[in-house]
Amino acid sequence: MRKLSLLFLILSLIVFSLTSAQATKITIWCSEKQVDILQRLGEEFKAKYGVAVEVQYVEFGSIKPNFLTAAPLGKGADIIVGAHDWVGELVVNGLLEPIPEFKDIKQFYDTALKAFSYGGKLYGLPYAMEAIALIYNKDYVKNPPLTMESLITTAKKINTAYKGKVKGFVTSAAEFYYVAPVIFGYGGYVFKDTPTGLDVSDIGLATPGAIKGVKLWKRLVDEGILSPGDNYQIMDSLFKEGKAAMIINGPWAVKAYKDAGVNYGVTVIPNLEAKVPAKPFVGVQGFMVNAKSPNKVLVREFLINFIATKDTMHKIYLADPRLPARKDVLALVKDNPDIVGFTKSASNGIPMPNVPEMAAVWGAMNDALNLVVNGKATPEEALSNAVKTIRAQIKK
Amino acid sequence: MVKILKILLWFILALLNAIFLLFGIYLIRNAYYELGIVLLSALILIDFFILNPKAYPYRYTIPALIFLFLLVLYPIYFTIKTAFTNYGTGHIFTREEAIERLLYDPNYTYILEEKPIKFKIFSVFKDSQPTDDFLIIFEIDKEYYIGGIPLPKKQRGREILLREGKLTKIKNKIFDLDGKTFEVSPYPFNIDNIDFISTSNKVYKPIFMLDNPELEKNFYYFTLIIQKYLIQTEYVDKETGKILGVKIDNDGRWKFFIVDRLYRLSYENIGEDGKTKTKLVIINTKTKKTIIEEKGSFYDIDDKGNRIFLVGYSAFVGFENFTRILTDEQVSGPFFRVFLWTIIWSLLTVLFSFSLGLSFALVLNNRKLKGRNLYRTLLIIPWAIPYFISVLTWRNGIFNETYGILNKIILPFLGMEPIKWFNDPFWAKVICLTVNTWLTFPYMMTVSLGALQGIPDELYEVSAIDGAGKWHRFWYITFPLLLAVVAPLLISSFAYTFNNFTLIYLLTAGGPPMVGATTPAGHTDILISYVYKLAFEGRGQEFGFASAIAILIFFLVAGISLMNFKLSGAFEEIRGEQ
Repeated sequence: MRKLSLLFLILSLIVFSLTSAQATKITIWCSEKQVDILQRLGEEFKAKYGVAVEVQYVEFGSIKPNFLTAAPLGKGADIIVGAHDWVGELVVNGLLEPIPEFKDIKQFYDTALKAFSYGGKLYGLPYAMEAIALIYNKDYVKNPPLTMESLITTAKKINTAYKGKVKGFVTSAAEFYYVAPVIFGYGGYVFKDTPTGLDVSDIGLATPGAIKGVKLWKRLVDEGILSPGDNYQIMDSLFKEGKAAMIINGPWAVKAYKDAGVNYGVTVIPNLEAKVPAKPFVGVQGFMVNAKSPNKVLVREFLINFIATKDTMHKIYLADPRLPARKDVLALVKDNPDIVGFTKSASNGIPMPNVPEMAAVWGAMNDALNLVVNGKATPEEALSNAVKTIRAQIKK
Repeated sequence: MVKILKILLWFILALLNAIFLLFGIYLIRNAYYELGIVLLSALILIDFFILNPKAYPYRYTIPALIFLFLLVLYPIYFTIKTAFTNYGTGHIFTREEAIERLLYDPNYTYILEEKPIKFKIFSVFKDSQPTDDFLIIFEIDKEYYIGGIPLPKKQRGREILLREGKLTKIKNKIFDLDGKTFEVSPYPFNIDNIDFISTSNKVYKPIFMLDNPELEKNFYYFTLIIQKYLIQTEYVDKETGKILGVKIDNDGRWKFFIVDRLYRLSYENIGEDGKTKTKLVIINTKTKKTIIEEKGSFYDIDDKGNRIFLVGYSAFVGFENFTRILTDEQVSGPFFRVFLWTIIWSLLTVLFSFSLGLSFALVLNNRKLKGRNLYRTLLIIPWAIPYFISVLTWRNGIFNETYGILNKIILPFLGMEPIKWFNDPFWAKVICLTVNTWLTFPYMMTVSLGALQGIPDELYEVSAIDGAGKWHRFWYITFPLLLAVVAPLLISSFAYTFNNFTLIYLLTAGGPPMVGATTPAGHTDILISYVYKLAFEGRGQEFGFASAIAILIFFLVAGISLMNFKLSGAFEEIRGEQ
């Protein structure tokens, strides 16, 4: 008899643990940099609204894949914090909940809102924008170059003056993201922007403008300023050690340079020619809502009436200083020269396409640039071939 | 003592039954039918083996059986099943789920009349806190309606997709709702001045109303009620068929509107083979057009006649994925070049690492060698260091074209030009082979050492008497005997290398790219890495396509291994000896 009752107890425990309703709480997946601030904001929100916010750290690169696995099963976080270029894939899969229009929406930059829009609906609340810019070491460069021409002369001067101990200019040589400013600057584009969204059948990566841009990039290699083996890790560590005078990198890297004691400055990427500005990719970070979340209404309250406010956005900025997506927050932080530098760069920029077709572009363009930088193909060949590859990949 | 043990065992069986049954039912309820069936059939088998005395010997296979089902048979089944579908980005739901989403998702409703409906929510208080027990009074065209807690109408697993509430007109001070009698006070009323609604043992007090400063303080409780009940609710007036739903207005506040669903099921007559059939379709209630269903996707048509993708589901596509590998030139073009390199790479890796491993093993097997253990330990190190660290060290520390030790120090020192390790197809292949040989020779060495121990010394003594030299002894005694033991391992090592995605992905990522290829193929891409790029770097993920190629690769590897076995006669020899 006791045996039976014990069995019954255990069974009922199992049933209970499977069925017991959990207290309502909002779960957020975010990467390292937002964990602290979101936890603090979560406490504030709980004090105000009585709903707990659980912030879980997920490595940035794993957020989207994890979400793609969990969300269709009705699991996963209520909110994920990530990049706007995930939107297309997640929306096509039916995993994101649109964010209805709200009162303060006009306070957000159009670029940021546009980046999170897909098919005419807003699918994310932007909080920060980012674009790469020229970062220079003031110990070597007094006046940052304003055109590519002067970048080349400055870099050459430094290369000869320090006999190779300090590199004049380094960046990731064959990565589309870092080469994009010159391609877009001369009029190249990834997908044609139309009023109803991006037209993925119109690819502008082998247009005369794009070719002209890549030729300019190749010149940097030919003149011995960029080495074909230069990649992100190399650029980052050289600059940190004070062995590089100028690099092109994004706002995410700056804190490490400050910590390393580098006397750095941030400014726009030099104009390609006089009055032809470089146009970097603009990435937007934001909050996206799980379409299958059982807490959509609370999540909306959390995002719209709490996160989207000027105060909170400012707090997030202070914890993770990136270009704020809210205009009035930018006004609060104008005295930060880094932010001004990156803002100028981003204001010239182009939002990274958020359509799923973009996945095909990276690999193809990196391959093409690799061939060009290593002299295995001319820019014309490599680019038109890359466009063919992209077409073949996205055709279905 | 025995008795207690027996009771304990019965208890464990009961527990196992309970857990499996619960999980099985849980899985089936959540529409994972296959896995649920696998689990339940495993349970039946287990019970049968234990309860039936004749099946006694099978009891010991139970653990293996469970894992066989879960880790081998189910994944195989799932891969094959997926290979015939378009499962992937845009097609991850089931058809049922996709349709449910169109029919019940609150996002697919639209507002019929722009004017919001005035409403007031009442709830039973407990310890001065509102509870979930609520009533809503609506004012529609100067008439008053009451709605109670909406009941679930459509459910999926434990998720409630749609709730429905009935609207009842309030005509008197006392009215009936769901068989209970309520009293509203004061009466006659306008919506602003109602103080409470009471029924036999409960009193409902106002908790929320828009534009009522006193009640708007309770916004938090209102939000909770929306969250829990109202967001997926339709309040239906049975007489007029009007539907009330909660929506966010332009000012960002939650309000009730008269809404309609954008998509509804409908029957359509279509002529097929001379007969008219009635088919269940989904229509857009705004445009009155039937929405298009094609290859696992639903499309709506906008005013300009353009197709708009709504939602997709994973659908059966037959052999489409397989034919695509063979007939789509974009895919099949570089396929054979990649295939050839895959075979060369696997063969050479096995050859190099085996030769190297065997040489070391022969040296270490010499008993006269001093400090054998030290050497052996040192030689096993490459195997012991984590794969990722080794490979990345090779890539960035040794072979990097600008900063690697080879191009920066060693080659200039020897007076040679730096080599474009990663951008020259030949050298990139050399790197792959070098690194993989380095990583696998310790394994071959260990295996050979073990096999060498098994060769009896008498054979060497006899051959020494016959006057055979070192080479003769190696080629006629050591090597054949060794091969008999090692050959199956070489073949499995070949199959492993054939699919060694990690090494290629970490080391060269398949590069350098093939000039002129229209697919993302590189010179060092092996089949599996090529497939990865095809399936996952296009338009999102294509699991169906990837599964199809995975099956193809399975047959390739199986075929090659079979051929190998036949040619080497490895199995026959071992079988012959026993």
